[in-house]
Amino acid sequence: MDPILESQLSVTRRRFISHAGRVGLGSAALMSLLEPKLFSASGKGVSLAENNGPGYAPGSPGPSHFAPRAKRVIYLCQSGAPSQIDTFDYKPTLEKYDGTELPGSVRMGQRLTGMTARQKSFPVAKSFLPFRQHGNSGQWISDLLPHHGRIADDICIINSTYTEAINHDPAITFFQTGHQQPGRPSLGAWASYGLGSESSDLPAYVVLLDKNTDVQAQPIYSRLWGAGFLPSNHQGVKLRAAGDPVLYLRDPSGTDATGKRKLLDDIAALNAERHKEVGDPEILTRIAAYEMAYRMQMSVPDLTDTSDEPPSTFELYGEDAKNPGTHAANCLLARRLAERGVRFIQLYHRGWDHHSNLPGRHPKIAREVDQGSAALVQDLKRRGLLDDTLIIWGGEFGRTVYKQGNPKTYGRDHHPRCFSIYLAGAGVKGGLRYGQTDDFCYNIVDRENTGVHVHDLNATILHLLGLDHERLTYFFQGRHYRVTDIHGKVVKGVLG
Amino acid sequence: MTLDSIQPNVTRPPRTTRAFRRAFLTIGCAVLACASPHRANAQEAPAFQLPEKVRFNRDIRTIFSKTCFACHGPDANAREADLRLDVRGQAIAERDGARPIVPGSAEDSLAWRLIVTTDPDDQMPPPDFHTQLTAREKALIRKWIDQGAEYETHWAFIPPGKASPPKVNHTDAVRNPIDNFVIRRLETDGLGPTAATDRASLIRRASLDLTGLPPTPGEVQAFVRDPASDDDAFSKAVDHLLASPRFGEHRARYWLDAARYADTSGYQYDRTRHQWVWRDWVINAFNSNLPFDQFTIQQTAGDLLPDATDQTRLATGFHRNHPITIEGGVIDEEYRTEYVMDRVVTTTTTWLGLTFTCARCHNHKYDPIDMDDFYSFYAFFNSVPERGLNGFNPKARISSPLRPDRTVEFTERIAATEKRLSAAIKAAGGSMAAWETKLNKLVSAEAKSVKIDTLSAQGGTKLEKRDDGSVLATGPNPATQTYQIGFTLGDKPTRAIRLEALTHDSHFKKSTGRAHNGNFVLSEVKVEVAEADAGSKFKQARIASAEANYEQKGYPITQAIDGKTGRAGWAIDGNTRFADSSAVFTLKDEIAAGSRVKVSLIHSWGGSHSIGRFRISIPPDGQPPVPAGIRKILDVAAAKRSAADRNRLAGHLALRFGNAEITAISEDLKKLRSQLDAARMAIPETMVLASMPTPRETHVLVRGEYDKPDKSRPIQPNTPRALGTLPEGVPPDRLGLARWLVSRDNPLTARVTVNRFWAQLFGSGLVKTIEDFGSQGEYPSHPELLDWLAVEFMDSGWDVKSLFKTMVMSGTYRQSSKIEPALLQADPDNRLLGRAPRFRLDAETIRDSALAVSGLLDESVGGPSVFPYHPEGLWLEINNRPNYSRAYPHTTDPAQLYRRSLYTFWKRTVAPPSMATFDAPEREFCVVKRSRTNTPLQAFVMLHDPQFIEAARKLAERVIKDGGDGPDDRIRRGFELCLSRQPTESELKLLRTALNEGLQRFKRDPEAANKLLAVGQSPRDPSLDAAELAAYTTLARMLLNLSEFITKG
Repeated sequence: MDPILESQLSVTRRRFISHAGRVGLGSAALMSLLEPKLFSASGKGVSLAENNGPGYAPGSPGPSHFAPRAKRVIYLCQSGAPSQIDTFDYKPTLEKYDGTELPGSVRMGQRLTGMTARQKSFPVAKSFLPFRQHGNSGQWISDLLPHHGRIADDICIINSTYTEAINHDPAITFFQTGHQQPGRPSLGAWASYGLGSESSDLPAYVVLLDKNTDVQAQPIYSRLWGAGFLPSNHQGVKLRAAGDPVLYLRDPSGTDATGKRKLLDDIAALNAERHKEVGDPEILTRIAAYEMAYRMQMSVPDLTDTSDEPPSTFELYGEDAKNPGTHAANCLLARRLAERGVRFIQLYHRGWDHHSNLPGRHPKIAREVDQGSAALVQDLKRRGLLDDTLIIWGGEFGRTVYKQGNPKTYGRDHHPRCFSIYLAGAGVKGGLRYGQTDDFCYNIVDRENTGVHVHDLNATILHLLGLDHERLTYFFQGRHYRVTDIHGKVVKGVLG
Repeated sequence: MTLDSIQPNVTRPPRTTRAFRRAFLTIGCAVLACASPHRANAQEAPAFQLPEKVRFNRDIRTIFSKTCFACHGPDANAREADLRLDVRGQAIAERDGARPIVPGSAEDSLAWRLIVTTDPDDQMPPPDFHTQLTAREKALIRKWIDQGAEYETHWAFIPPGKASPPKVNHTDAVRNPIDNFVIRRLETDGLGPTAATDRASLIRRASLDLTGLPPTPGEVQAFVRDPASDDDAFSKAVDHLLASPRFGEHRARYWLDAARYADTSGYQYDRTRHQWVWRDWVINAFNSNLPFDQFTIQQTAGDLLPDATDQTRLATGFHRNHPITIEGGVIDEEYRTEYVMDRVVTTTTTWLGLTFTCARCHNHKYDPIDMDDFYSFYAFFNSVPERGLNGFNPKARISSPLRPDRTVEFTERIAATEKRLSAAIKAAGGSMAAWETKLNKLVSAEAKSVKIDTLSAQGGTKLEKRDDGSVLATGPNPATQTYQIGFTLGDKPTRAIRLEALTHDSHFKKSTGRAHNGNFVLSEVKVEVAEADAGSKFKQARIASAEANYEQKGYPITQAIDGKTGRAGWAIDGNTRFADSSAVFTLKDEIAAGSRVKVSLIHSWGGSHSIGRFRISIPPDGQPPVPAGIRKILDVAAAKRSAADRNRLAGHLALRFGNAEITAISEDLKKLRSQLDAARMAIPETMVLASMPTPRETHVLVRGEYDKPDKSRPIQPNTPRALGTLPEGVPPDRLGLARWLVSRDNPLTARVTVNRFWAQLFGSGLVKTIEDFGSQGEYPSHPELLDWLAVEFMDSGWDVKSLFKTMVMSGTYRQSSKIEPALLQADPDNRLLGRAPRFRLDAETIRDSALAVSGLLDESVGGPSVFPYHPEGLWLEINNRPNYSRAYPHTTDPAQLYRRSLYTFWKRTVAPPSMATFDAPEREFCVVKRSRTNTPLQAFVMLHDPQFIEAARKLAERVIKDGGDGPDDRIRRGFELCLSRQPTESELKLLRTALNEGLQRFKRDPEAANKLLAVGQSPRDPSLDAAELAAYTTLARMLLNLSEFITKG
């Protein structure tokens, strides 16, 4: 939008509001004049942030660059990095190489982490479980994830994902913010900034952490759902399994609903009176924020209380879904959030980082996520939500084909050069296998044309949301930042 | 609707020089044909006014920067058609028969024609470029060219000059020169200042701004009732606020954001560090009004100052506040590089207001900073002796300037005790020469081997006496062994027994021990003594100390006298070192002449690690050996000894031969020294800067990547060339950089600093882009005022308190903040300062205000960070890995709960949640401007955070107890405390009604009252009625939740 036009619009809105205040409209009437969405598209909606974002007229459904395929995103982040060789990248050739030394011609001296850089031998380990074909598409999926067989025709497996980072912190930060070092907004924050919320009583960007069951799991950190340099109202709001679902959501003990409504009305009345006195439009925004808080407080318990779900739900997700904080329970919550118009749902499951005894430890984590992830796709599909919901499932890098440590109880080290993730839903070709790795699952074949870099994936996610990653920018410190920096291309091959 | 998006890196077909030439030759006619109607349009457009004289810096540079410089700017690599529009000489030069800009004639300027052409192939900026020119911008460019196309150096790169304050019409509103500049600008737009605010709201505003806390009702009353003139009364009040320790805390709070200060190390494991000592340095610096130039120099290079002290070294912690990784597997150099990058970005943002980071990977596209400039700056910070992985060194134990330093006390007492000792030695001075002779005799005398009476060993081993007084073990060689040697002491007493372990041909490699490898481990030595009389019993003699001439690593002689057997003991590397060794054991009590003595040598390490040949002897005079260090001193002629050596020798002599007093003082001294050590260890190790003796080589890093140094481009430390050079005679190191940062030639530091301070008071800077003074930044709203303040600041000797006083004493600051509709329309963002600003307080100030008005606030200053209320499980839910994280240390300690918020423990991966909700940053990188949002989550904090509920209860107690008897007076008291004003009649009425309703409800439901009053750790006043207190608590919650409570107006 033209900045001058924007400035005039802003003036108009302020005048309108201040006029409304001056003639002494009640708070309910004021409310209808104000932003109806809980977390608006830009810093200027419910915010007085001195920021210079696109500055959409508040309340707009969210401007897109072009028609979106996805109205919302559910990102099932598998932190710690699952092994592509043991999940989604079928490599029958490894049968014959099993136990032999990885040829130097494959490795080509590429950098290794500090953990195996000094290892003397690099023996190849084949998939530790058999693969099977599923669905009409005949997608190959490891027996490690049996429930995923049911969604084989709905998911698009990308075997040619790659990254540059070789350690967890920079790698996961790269995926989630487009940059390896802290400081950039997360993908969900960009979506919130670009598109705003569709919900009037829930935030645009919600974060779910699966309860961690592995004491050696990699930690995660709030920067992964942070707003970076975007106005901080775009940061993800964590929905917690224990304690208050949203921090400080609950009323103090000794207070009741009637008292609460009265308290808010009195505060609003006093605020409105002050507004009449000093004419500050920000006071009206605060009145609105308190009203929205009230609505959110009413709606969150309804959201998290799954007792209204029919038995078929728990048949699909498994009994685990009744246990808050499990992956299955959070997948179910993700579906309920999607139904309520939340724009970006970011979920984290931890514990895939197996540098030793991977064949012993991978199955436990796989069991934790398999049914829930698969059920979510099926559930959205049967409710007709999969058409406009994008699912992303994957870790921050892959794992090495060669064994780390004791060859008998081996682990697999970090491998950034090729790994597998899958997409499902909105505008993505189900049943497709995209990209190919070499016989050793070490490098991507034809990376130039079929490789999917972190930036490419993010460009594609934004594209499906109707946003051009080259045009979704934020002016900060003298330049226009993008989530894809100066890189990224939409992976057209996965689009339906 | 489409996004208004601006993206400099958008790809588009390259326009070659050839295409440019073609454009020159072919489009002239078309442009001329349409030029006239276009001009007519421009003239008819009434929507905007153009300044009489168009100025490049004010009017043109930002337009060029956003629409032209990406392709025609400083970056040679991105330059199209070999054309620069940021340099006049090139913009007006003739090329291929045409000139891009013809000063005085837009019509003849090809650039202008390309701007107005309708041919999409030639149009500039190209139609697919992200930013297009508006009609007003085009008109400005046209007028500027017509007026001669005069360029100016970018305003921020010219050192500031002090303009004289302009004349204004509203002379009565002028309090100091600031107002002349502000009012003049308002008058240009036909506006004027708003009337001064009332005294009560002025003192509230100043108190919040200068101390981060609201004034007490007493302070408000004192100021309101002060009979002095407004100026005098306010001046006095401001001095009082500036002198408060709260001032330094509040200023420090902003600095901590820029310094990315935190109590943890960030990245994924995010463990605790102890930079709070540095944080205390900052508070102390602001409170003691350390001039800003010194503040800068000490933090940048306090370790390199000629008169460096611990405190100036502590200051350099600024540059160690960045996150540091401990993730196993990371590549060391990659992260070390990031730390240096962080310093460059933090320094250039904080002091220079420049977006340097662009030039890490490529030449800056808008500002004259290229990669060489970037890496020259980088070189200043590239020689810290640090690592990437676990890069916590260098560190130092330096005590906080705000905490009593116990080492000082012990150091003083040690000095005094040393004096007493030397006095005592001096008193015994007559004997000194004699003592030295005696000592020399000791050194030269030979030890005498003892006459052995009995010998025994275990496991059938035979011990055989030899002519030289030694004993050789032969025969069976059990795994463990104890030798017992009995002898009778001669006619002199002794305090020492000497043991030698001797080599022998029968041992492996002719070594000293009987183990298969020639080694031994002596686990324990025991000495038993009986009187000469055969009937008396043996008693164990205590060994006070032992000294050996050689100790194997991990096997010191002390382990042989620690009272424990087992595998610890004394060894001498007998498997690799085949030499005689000896040890002397000093006994606590003298053994009388003629006593019978039994020595046991216990070897319990196992594997036959027994001594193979040994000798026991009595040192000359039965005295402990003379330490090697003292022997060295004795070797030097008395006249040639250093003073320190003389003292040491005197001390030794006094201790060995001296009197009881000397011994006692020496014991004291020993105790004090260990107390000093303990006190020193109690000071945490904090990270500081240091420099490597030989600086690291710096090269330009290709694309900014750590592993791609361009060896053909070695770089020396230097300042960015566009900003001047290091002052004469200053070394090209961090100290040189520090001195340059605050030199008069540096055009930026003073401007950037006063602008940031200004923004702390006015909510927005005079340059709105606080972080960017480059050509992409905003032109100052009041350029002359900015420069006046910058020069005034430098002229005052960088006096921070004086600068703040000048700003708050201005009429501009003292205006009313009431927003009149007309002014709102004319200047919605209040950029012209026609009224005082209104904005929401920052996270810390909101919490601190609640603590203050409730009376909970603990005002102690400095010290380790504290752990106030915190939701359960927040830390563990992101990291429960043992040894890497820990649960939040919840506490009931009031000394932890109610401190000011800047002392709250700041964990980067989980910033204090209620503060994060109010836009506090995570502190992972430098932030000089926080967002200021207004969200429902903030309402949750104010309404439900236990800290605010508890504060409401304590506020209620206060209001009931000292607010008088009736509800009206108490409501008034609540208003005074929270809002520094009296309620209006209708406010009073509303609150009175609410109070009554609450009272009824809680009387009906006493259990509810008790529950509400149970929130928080502070005890509840038992003398107050529960229902009444609960009702007033609800009233207090309303006050704390008013927009006004969290707003500075």
